[in-house]
Amino acid sequence: MHLSQFRRWLLQSPPVEWAILQLRELLIGALRQGPVPQHIAFVMDGNRRFARQHGIEIVEGHNQGFEALAKILEVCYKSGVKVVTIYAFSIENFKRSKYEVDALMDMAKVKLAQLVQHGDLLEQYGARIQILGQRELIKPDVLEAMDRAVELTKGNGDAILNICCPYTSHAEMTSAIRDTVVEWSQPMEAGPQKEERHFSERHIVHNIRARRLSSNNSNTNHDRLSPNNEALALRSHSPSSGTASDTEESSSDPLTNSSSSTTLNPSTTRSSPPLSSPTSSDNLKSDNNITYPDPELITPATLTNHMYTSSLPPLDLMIRTSGVERLSDFMLWQCHEETEIVFLKVLWPEFDLWGFLPVLVEWQWKQQQRRKGGDVDGQGRGVGKAKTR
Amino acid sequence: MAKSKETDVYRKDASTKHNLLTLKQREDLIKPYLPKAPKSSPTSKRSRPIREFLRNQFHLFVFIIIHLLFSIYIRIRQTYHILFDRALAVLYYHHRAPELIKQDVKGLTRFPEHLSVILELRGDERDQAGLEGLMDELAEIAAWCTCVGIPMLSVYERTGILKHYIPNTHRAVSSKMHSYFGGDVPSLQVGAPNISSYLNGNAAPRTGDASSRHLSILLLSAEDGRSTLVDLTKTLTEMSQRKKLAPSDVSQDLVDAEITESVMGEPDLLILFGQDVKLQGYPPWQIRLTEIYHVQDSNGVGYQVFLRALHNYSKAQMKFGR
Repeated sequence: MHLSQFRRWLLQSPPVEWAILQLRELLIGALRQGPVPQHIAFVMDGNRRFARQHGIEIVEGHNQGFEALAKILEVCYKSGVKVVTIYAFSIENFKRSKYEVDALMDMAKVKLAQLVQHGDLLEQYGARIQILGQRELIKPDVLEAMDRAVELTKGNGDAILNICCPYTSHAEMTSAIRDTVVEWSQPMEAGPQKEERHFSERHIVHNIRARRLSSNNSNTNHDRLSPNNEALALRSHSPSSGTASDTEESSSDPLTNSSSSTTLNPSTTRSSPPLSSPTSSDNLKSDNNITYPDPELITPATLTNHMYTSSLPPLDLMIRTSGVERLSDFMLWQCHEETEIVFLKVLWPEFDLWGFLPVLVEWQWKQQQRRKGGDVDGQGRGVGKAKTR
Repeated sequence: MAKSKETDVYRKDASTKHNLLTLKQREDLIKPYLPKAPKSSPTSKRSRPIREFLRNQFHLFVFIIIHLLFSIYIRIRQTYHILFDRALAVLYYHHRAPELIKQDVKGLTRFPEHLSVILELRGDERDQAGLEGLMDELAEIAAWCTCVGIPMLSVYERTGILKHYIPNTHRAVSSKMHSYFGGDVPSLQVGAPNISSYLNGNAAPRTGDASSRHLSILLLSAEDGRSTLVDLTKTLTEMSQRKKLAPSDVSQDLVDAEITESVMGEPDLLILFGQDVKLQGYPPWQIRLTEIYHVQDSNGVGYQVFLRALHNYSKAQMKFGR
């Protein structure tokens, strides 16, 4: 008891405190010399267990977790991390007791409101705050505080703090898929493209018909082949509009009404004879005048662009505290490829620089090993930057 | 890190919902910890380039020292883990005896219904030795699963080379099973998403014991991850374009049902045998609540890793966000 009191007194004495502060600054400055992860995600797990272990209220545990977060954010941004994403509240968390949910929401509201008061300070140092998640599940008063914080920090460019609240990765992926479907279901404007073309399809069809007729009349083997060649040449030189509809056009016959040939009626366009009568193709045109983008153009990158994290650098490091080795529906799309995942035994409120430092150093060490190993294809992103500082 | 005196003040303020201190007081509280204002830094930099340079050099020096110490530490740690691993491997060797394996997992209360592993192909894709090594590892794991009584095993390997050799894989696993169980080989099914699976001929139940033992092996590759979700999006888009589906119909349940049907459900336990905790493109939809087990500084597939994973799994409790 005496010893612990003495230790506290010692740690609180001004020279020691000053020395610790200097040491921290030194370590953070040293970290900046190596590669630094550009995007870190935290699952802040263990607030409740911490509260239970220390015999304090659960809400107080969350409060201490918030303080730990502030410290970690300081370390992150000082050492050059661009984006920090935190898992503040899962959609599943709504299952918890109403008292706790309300307290958490209240805390978010108070802290954000307090943050907003320091507008000028935020402008100088602060990160841009973004809220990722299902906004419609948040209570209006909390939402208002969030929106104000987002609005106020919009101009801060350097660093970004993503608060995932209320978030699950399944919901994110589903909404990305839905948004893609919606985007691809917007009809493309085919009108202006048609006017740019200088050739009338009907005229070409007439032309070919006239040639075929004349070659049929001449009745020699050599001449009978030539219209086919002509048609082939036409096929390859068919005017393309230079947009997404290209691929569709090339698959269907260019002599029928190409601008109306969509996936809507592939069978009718393809089965129709190459030289269908102009009247029938006109009918087709009036029936489905809508052209959609080709679904085959959807790639993983398309979905990535529809995720909440679309404009951010890829996730380099994911840290989960409290020894639970699960992702719990967090950033699944973002972290399942090259992200380094770290599971720590420490509870979140106890997590500080001294717990964070070994993780960062090990990450740097692995990056360097990888660079020595020779494969730096996109993984050593932060590496080049370090030397220029 | 704020001084503790100031932390106390802050907490007192926080407990009254930040009504105690005025705005100004609060700003003064944190001011000492803020870095120098970025706007004034260019001028100071210009005036003291030498100081800045020296500071940088000093930081670089500390950085090198830290990494020197760390690389010593990590070598020691790796050596320790390798020795520990070897010791466990000697202590818990299975001797290809199902009885011994059953003995090892006797005290466990809970087993995964669906186990998933990530294997790595060593060497070149065309390298025959790499492929054979992969099949052998897969066969060993399959045999352990059967002994423990896990009915479903999914094997992720990034390149998906095993998918081209499903009959060979089946044969390799079968012969491994023979060496474990003798004549009484359990029924075995090897398949991959969207590829017809390969069931062994003697699947007909002979005795009560043998019929209860069945193992399905699912081979996964990077294609079953993002590409599957993209394919689903394409199909949904086409349907939406043909007005067969409204975008609002795209729900989490629908995606979940489709993905589960076309690839697999969520595994209960995922074992990583590699060095780093990286998912290498493992299907993202399915790892939502999967327990991820890895051994620090692990070096390859080993029975002791498998055993430790099961022990760890049995102790863990599921919380489902509560």
